[in-house]
Amino acid sequence: MKIHTKSLAALSFGVALGLLASASADAKDSGFKLMMTPKWTGFPYFEAAGKGGKAAADELGDTFVYAGADHADVSLQVETLENFIAQKPDGILLAAIDLNAVAPVLTKARKSGIVVTTFDADAATQARDIFVNQMSYEQAAKTMLDCALLDAPDGGEIAFVAASPTSPNHMAHIRIMTELTKTNPKYEKFKVVDTQFAGDDDAKSYDVAVNLMQAHPNLKVIISSSAVSAPAAARAIVATGKAGKVFATGFALPSAIKSYLDDGSEKAFALWNPWELGYVATYATHLILAGKLKVKPGETFTAGKAGTYTVGKDGEIVYGKPMIFTKDTVDKAGF
Amino acid sequence: MSAFEGKQTRVGVGEFALRMRVTGVLAFIVLLGAVFAMLSPRFLNPQNLAIIASNAAILAIVAAAQAVVLLTRNLDVSVGSIMGFAAYLTADYAARHHGAGVAIIGLAMVLGTLLGVVNGLIVAYAAVSPLIATLGTMSLYRGATYLYAHGRDVTSNELPHWMLSAVDFRIVGLPALPLLSALVVVLIALFLRRFAFGRQIYAVGSNPEAAVYYGLRVKRVTLFAYAFSGLLCGFAGLLYAARVGTVTVVLASGWELSSLAAAVIGGVSVAGGSGTVIGAALGALILASIDNGLVLLSVQEFWRMFIQGTAIVAAVAVDTLIGAQIRASLVSRRFGGVRA
Amino acid sequence: MSARAIWRPTAWEAMLVVLIFAAAAWSATLSPYYLQIDQLLYSTRNFVIPGLLAFGLMVVVTTGEIDISVASTLAVASVALSKFAAVGAPIAVAALLAVALAATLGALNGFFVARLGLPSLAVTLGTMGAYRGLAFIIGGGMGYTSFNDPYLYVGTELWFGVVPASLILFAVVAAGVGFLMHKTTFGRRCFAVGMNKTAAWISGVNVDRLKITAYALAGVLAGVAGLVWIGQYGSARGDNADGMILFVVTAVVLGGVDINGGRGTVLGVVLALLLLGTLRNGMGLANIAGPTQTVVFGALLLIGVLRPFVAGLAQRWRTPPSDPFSRRDDTEQTSESNSITNNITRRSAL
Repeated sequence: MKIHTKSLAALSFGVALGLLASASADAKDSGFKLMMTPKWTGFPYFEAAGKGGKAAADELGDTFVYAGADHADVSLQVETLENFIAQKPDGILLAAIDLNAVAPVLTKARKSGIVVTTFDADAATQARDIFVNQMSYEQAAKTMLDCALLDAPDGGEIAFVAASPTSPNHMAHIRIMTELTKTNPKYEKFKVVDTQFAGDDDAKSYDVAVNLMQAHPNLKVIISSSAVSAPAAARAIVATGKAGKVFATGFALPSAIKSYLDDGSEKAFALWNPWELGYVATYATHLILAGKLKVKPGETFTAGKAGTYTVGKDGEIVYGKPMIFTKDTVDKAGF
Repeated sequence: MSAFEGKQTRVGVGEFALRMRVTGVLAFIVLLGAVFAMLSPRFLNPQNLAIIASNAAILAIVAAAQAVVLLTRNLDVSVGSIMGFAAYLTADYAARHHGAGVAIIGLAMVLGTLLGVVNGLIVAYAAVSPLIATLGTMSLYRGATYLYAHGRDVTSNELPHWMLSAVDFRIVGLPALPLLSALVVVLIALFLRRFAFGRQIYAVGSNPEAAVYYGLRVKRVTLFAYAFSGLLCGFAGLLYAARVGTVTVVLASGWELSSLAAAVIGGVSVAGGSGTVIGAALGALILASIDNGLVLLSVQEFWRMFIQGTAIVAAVAVDTLIGAQIRASLVSRRFGGVRA
Repeated sequence: MSARAIWRPTAWEAMLVVLIFAAAAWSATLSPYYLQIDQLLYSTRNFVIPGLLAFGLMVVVTTGEIDISVASTLAVASVALSKFAAVGAPIAVAALLAVALAATLGALNGFFVARLGLPSLAVTLGTMGAYRGLAFIIGGGMGYTSFNDPYLYVGTELWFGVVPASLILFAVVAAGVGFLMHKTTFGRRCFAVGMNKTAAWISGVNVDRLKITAYALAGVLAGVAGLVWIGQYGSARGDNADGMILFVVTAVVLGGVDINGGRGTVLGVVLALLLLGTLRNGMGLANIAGPTQTVVFGALLLIGVLRPFVAGLAQRWRTPPSDPFSRRDDTEQTSESNSITNNITRRSAL
C-alpha cells in the first residue's frame, strides 16, 4: 500500500505540474501582435510615435505593424481598423480622427478580446481600454500659456489657431486657456480676442495668421494647438516684418521651429516626445495583455526606460512630460 | 449687312467681348470690396489690401496655369500634386547641398514641366479624358512624393536663406510677392494675346474640329498647354515652400479645386476657348478677399465655407449670364438683328 | 449605345471582371486573412457609401453633366438625421425627410445647371462648398452620436450573421438604378440627352426637367448614403465624407462611363467598385502603406484608360492603315480610338 501511495502522489504531482504548465502557456507574456494606426501617415510626429512603438515592441519581444492612410479621413481610418481586426492582433493602438466614428469598430475589436489603446487623440471612453494622453488638457493649456509668457512677459492680446471646431483636444485647450486668463492671476495679463481655424493646413495657417494680425493690430501672441499651424504662424510673423512685436507659440515639432528660435523671432514652443509617447503606449498595451497591468485607477507600471506611470480615471494614463523648447534646448530634442 | 462687313466689325466686337468678361469679374471684386469696406473699416487699409494680394499671389499663378489648360478645353486636377512633388524634391535637394544657388528655381520648373509633359502626352496623344488622366497622375505624383520623403518634412532651417528672404522681400514698402505674381500673369496674358501660338490655344479650345481642318497641330498645342501649366506649378510650388517655410508631403493638396474655383470665378469657361488668365488671377484675388474679409468680420468658421461656395456659384452665374448677353448681341449684330 | 434587346457585356466590363479576379488572386497571396467569407462580406461595407454616391453621379454624368457636391449632400443628410434623432422622431419619418432634403439640394444643382445654363463643374464646385458649410451650420461643432438602434440598423445589422444589411441595400439600389437607366424611357432619354442634347430636345425630350430629375436622384442617393453613414459610424458631423468625391469619380470613370455623357452602364460602375474595393481590402490586409496604395490606384486608373490606346498602337504596328482617317474596328469602343476627330470632339474639359 505504501508503494501505491507514493506512485499516487507522483502521479498527482505530475498532473498538477501538467495543469500548471498548460495554465501558464495561456498566460503568455511575450510574442504579442501589436498594430498601430495614426491619424495619417507621412507626418513626422506620428512617424516618430510609430518608431517609438516599434522600439518598445522589439524590447518586449512583440511584433509591431504601423499602417494607415496617407491623409486624415475618418472612413479610411475605420477601414484600416477593420483590416487590423481581420488580422487577429492582440492589441491595437490608434490616434483617433473622430472619436465617435471609430467607436463601433473599436467595440467590435474589444469584443474579440483585442486590447485597444488610444494615444494622442482619444476615442469614446467605452470603446477603448486605455488612453495614453500626452498631457491633460489643463496641463497642455498651462504649458502653452507659459510659453506665451516667455514670449510676452507683459501680457497682451492673444488669439488661438486650432485645426477645426470638431477637434476635441484643441477645443478643450482653447476653453481651458480662456478660463485660465480669467481665473489664474499668472495669466490674467492675457486677453483672448479671437479664435480661428486652419484645418491642419500650413498655407491656410499662414494666411490665417496674417489675417489675424491685420484684424487685431494690438495682437501680441498667436497660440496654436496644431503642430502644423505653429511654424506657419511664426513664418508669417517674420515675413510681415512683425518679428518682435507679435509672437507665435504653441505645440510644434522642434525641427520645424528651430530657425525661429535661433534667429530670436520666437522665444519658446512646446511639445512632448512623440517617440516616447508611442513607446509608453505600446508598453502599457503589452503589460495589459500580459496580465501585469489592470486598468484601475491607481495602478502603476514602468514603461521600460521611460519611467513610471499611473492609471487615472476612465483608463486615462497621463504621459505628462511637456517639453518647452527655447533657443538653448531645441537642438537637444533630437527630432 | 454683307458677310464681309460683318467679318470686319467682328474683330472689334470680339475684343470688346473679351474685355467685357474681365469687366464682369472686376465688377464683382469692386462690389465685394464695397460690401466688406462698409462692414469693416479695416478692410480698405492699404496694409490689409497688400496682405490680400500676398495671400492671393501664389494661387493666382496656379489659377493662371489651370486657365491655360482650361482654354484648350481640358483640365488639370494634378496641379497640387505637381506643386508638391516639385517643391519637395527641390527643397530636399537644397537641404542636402548647402550653398545651392538660384539654379534650384530652374530645377523646380524642370520637374514641373516634366510632370506636365506626362499629363499632356496622356491627354493629347493617348486620347484619354483629361479628368481621368489627371486624376490618375494626381495620385501618382502625390504618392511618389510620399515614397520619396520617407516621413520627413523639410524644415525652414534647412531651406536656403536667400529663398526665404526673397519671398518676404519688400519694394518701397510693398510686398514683392504679389508684384512678381502680377508680372508672371501679365506675361502669360501677353503671350496668349500677341503670339500666334498663344492664339492657337484659344482656337483649339474654341473649336477643335475647325482647328484641325485649319491645319493647327491640336495635339502639340494641348501638350504645350499641359507642359506650360506644369512649369508654372513647379515655380508656384517653390514659392509656396518659401512662403510657408516647412515643406511637407501634403504641400498644396486641395489646390486643384482652389485653382479651378479661382479660374471659374474669373470667367474662364470650362468648355474651353473663352476667358483670360488675368481673370483667373482676379478670381484668386476674390477668394483671398473673401477669406480676409470674413476673418476681419470674425465670421464663424462654418459660415465661411458656406459663403465661399455661394460666392463661386454667384460668380459663375454672373459671368455666364453676361457671356450669354455678349453672344446674343454678337449674333444679332452680325445678322442684322436676327437671332441665329 | 442603344437599348440592346440581347444584353451582352462590353469589352470594358469583361476587362473589369478579369481584373477583379486578378486582384482577388493577388490579394489572397498578399495576406492569409483575405479569403474568408465573413471578412470578404464585411469588407464590402467600405464601398457601399461611395457606391451609392457613384450611382447618383453616374446618372448625372450620363446626361452630360457632372456633380461633385454629392459628398457634401451626404453630410447635410446625416446631420439632418441627427437633428431628427435628437427630438426622438421615428426613423421612417426622419429618413424620409432627410432624403427629401437631399433631393431638394440635388434639384437645386439641377436648377442652376439646366434652367440657368451654368457649367456644371463650376456650379457643383460651388455647391460642394456651400452644402458642406450648411452641414457644419446645421450640425454645429461636435458631432452627434446618441443614435438609437433603428437609426443604426442599415449600417450595422448583419443578416444571417454575415451579410451586412448595407450590402443588401446596395444590391437593391444597384438593381433599381440599373433597371431605371437601361430599361425605362427615363434612362433612355438620359443617354439621348448626353449623346446629343439638341437632337434629344428636338425629338421632344424636356431636357431641363430631365436634368433636374437626374440631379435630384443623385441627391436622393446621397441622402440614403447619409443614412448608411450614420449606421456604419454612429456619428453625424459636418465633415462626414469630406474628400470622398475623388474615390466616387474614380469608380464612375473606371466603370467605363463616358464622362461626356451618353455612354456607360450601371454594371460597369458596380464592377469598378468591386475592383477598387478588392484592391483596397487586399492591400489593407497586407498593411501596405497608404501612399503606396495611392500610387497603385493612380497607376491602375491610367492603365485602365490607356489600354485601348496601347491596343490601338499594337494594331497599327501590325497593319498600318492606308487611309489615316479610317475608323477603328467596330468592336473597339469608338470613344477610345485614335482617329483624329474623335480625339478632339470633346464637349467639355471633362
